[in-house]
Amino acid sequence: MEKAEYMEKAAQHIVDADEEAVEKLAREYLIEGFDPIEMIEKGLSEGIRKLGVLFDRGEIFLPHLIIASEAMTTAVKILEQAMPADQVGKKLAKVVIGTIEGDVHDIGKGIVATMLRVYGFEVFDLGRDVPIATFVEKAKEIGADVVGSSALMTTTMVGQKALEKALKDAGLRDNLITMLGGAATTEHWAAKIGANFWAESAGDTVMKLKEIFS
Amino acid sequence: MNSKERVMAVINHQKPDRMPCFGANCMVTYEQMEAAQAFWPKGHEDGETMARLALASHTVLGFDAVRVPFCQTFEARALGIKIKPGKLPGNMEGIPGIDHPPLYKLDDTPVFPDDFLSRGFIPELLKAVRILKKELGDEVPVIAGIIGPFTLAGSLIDTVPLLKATFKAPDKIRPWLEIGEKAGTALAKALIDAGADIICCEDMTASPELIAPKTYKELELEFQTKQFDAISVPTILHICGKVDPIVEWMAQTGPNILSLDTKTKPHIVREKCGPDVVLLGGVDVATTLFLHGPDEVKREAEEAIADGIQILAPGCAVGPGTPTENLLAMLQVAKGH
Repeated sequence: MEKAEYMEKAAQHIVDADEEAVEKLAREYLIEGFDPIEMIEKGLSEGIRKLGVLFDRGEIFLPHLIIASEAMTTAVKILEQAMPADQVGKKLAKVVIGTIEGDVHDIGKGIVATMLRVYGFEVFDLGRDVPIATFVEKAKEIGADVVGSSALMTTTMVGQKALEKALKDAGLRDNLITMLGGAATTEHWAAKIGANFWAESAGDTVMKLKEIFS
Repeated sequence: MNSKERVMAVINHQKPDRMPCFGANCMVTYEQMEAAQAFWPKGHEDGETMARLALASHTVLGFDAVRVPFCQTFEARALGIKIKPGKLPGNMEGIPGIDHPPLYKLDDTPVFPDDFLSRGFIPELLKAVRILKKELGDEVPVIAGIIGPFTLAGSLIDTVPLLKATFKAPDKIRPWLEIGEKAGTALAKALIDAGADIICCEDMTASPELIAPKTYKELELEFQTKQFDAISVPTILHICGKVDPIVEWMAQTGPNILSLDTKTKPHIVREKCGPDVVLLGGVDVATTLFLHGPDEVKREAEEAIADGIQILAPGCAVGPGTPTENLLAMLQVAKGH
């Protein structure tokens, strides 16, 4: 199979959320000796981009996106095994991400984490229901460039304000970007509490961070 | 008209003396807790405290209904699910939620306990309804909340595995929807026996923001319809987010009232659902009620009424930090219609 055909198929398998097919394709591609980074950048990413468009148009829904992003993660792991170590390690920025304490929802946040990994960020996903202190400790420990928090409820969005303050108190705030998202949040809220930016979706997060870090 | 007559008039398609104003979801705020001297977490777990706190939406705000409970964990806890207390940053009290890991996996067989209604805090919830009924009689309607089949299924096997199954193996979800429907219906019947005037079913996870509309139509529609068929008092169905793609089927499940998030426009719902269902909603909770002031609240409420809202309400559960003056501004608008 030609390389171009591999790219098309990789994108299509992601759009179809077909994990088995994309896994098989990635292995065959490596046997052919092609460049693994190229498949991530031109094949898989193109699939994710197409899915984002379909999702925004309301043509596909969240379950499809979750399964597609898992398929993407599986394929990327296979391809990364064939990459030289220096290329795997080369990341745009270090991102700490989590859902605020009291909030046990993290489906959207999980997709954001996957997308950021796909686009070359090093992501430390703290999961859901994360105490403010844990965000701060992790950011300090790894020297985070970005701290992202998600809040789905009006009860937990106040935690994002507390996070801003905690990062300031720890002396970290000036050296990193804060971003927030989640169903309860708005651009107005981000501005009000002094976060650097608000993102509406996973695609929006990637776009805004890439503007800053590439 | 008193509040109950006013609300029943709207439900029965008669003309009320003015538009009713109340929320279908939790209306509790920290300011109401102070005024009622009834606080969380006790208000989630103790019938008397719960009733005292619920009363505040009528005594403090002047709203046309009271509502219990204040969280979405009663059925789940009684089904054996681990619940996480409602601790918020800064040691504030919030609402309890479903803890992880989940009790079951998709391929397991769910168990419905025979003593369901005496498990967890359900006896305290029933006690709260009895106290409220005794206190309010036929003056103010008592709304009691249950959780929809799909959302309960998500509490049992966790939301992400449930969503994945809707895509990969939709038939495997049916036993979970069955037990979810059974639990909510059993609770609803007990709440009615205790004196509830209206049952509100919250089904957050069935929103098109989480599942495909096709899944609602092919699976949830059947179970929600079965549930409403079994409930003898007026009903409200609340699903968060923009529900345009499923709202027609939501109305087909048979609720008297649809509770709408502000992302869903009333005139679109009216077009899709016809004249029968009553529309409740109007003011956004996360931004307008929580962050803005009475002027913005009034403007948004007026717009929603002009667009077809018949019962003025917050679009979802009120954030507990919401200022009282914003909620009072809603009532003021309702009084003008």
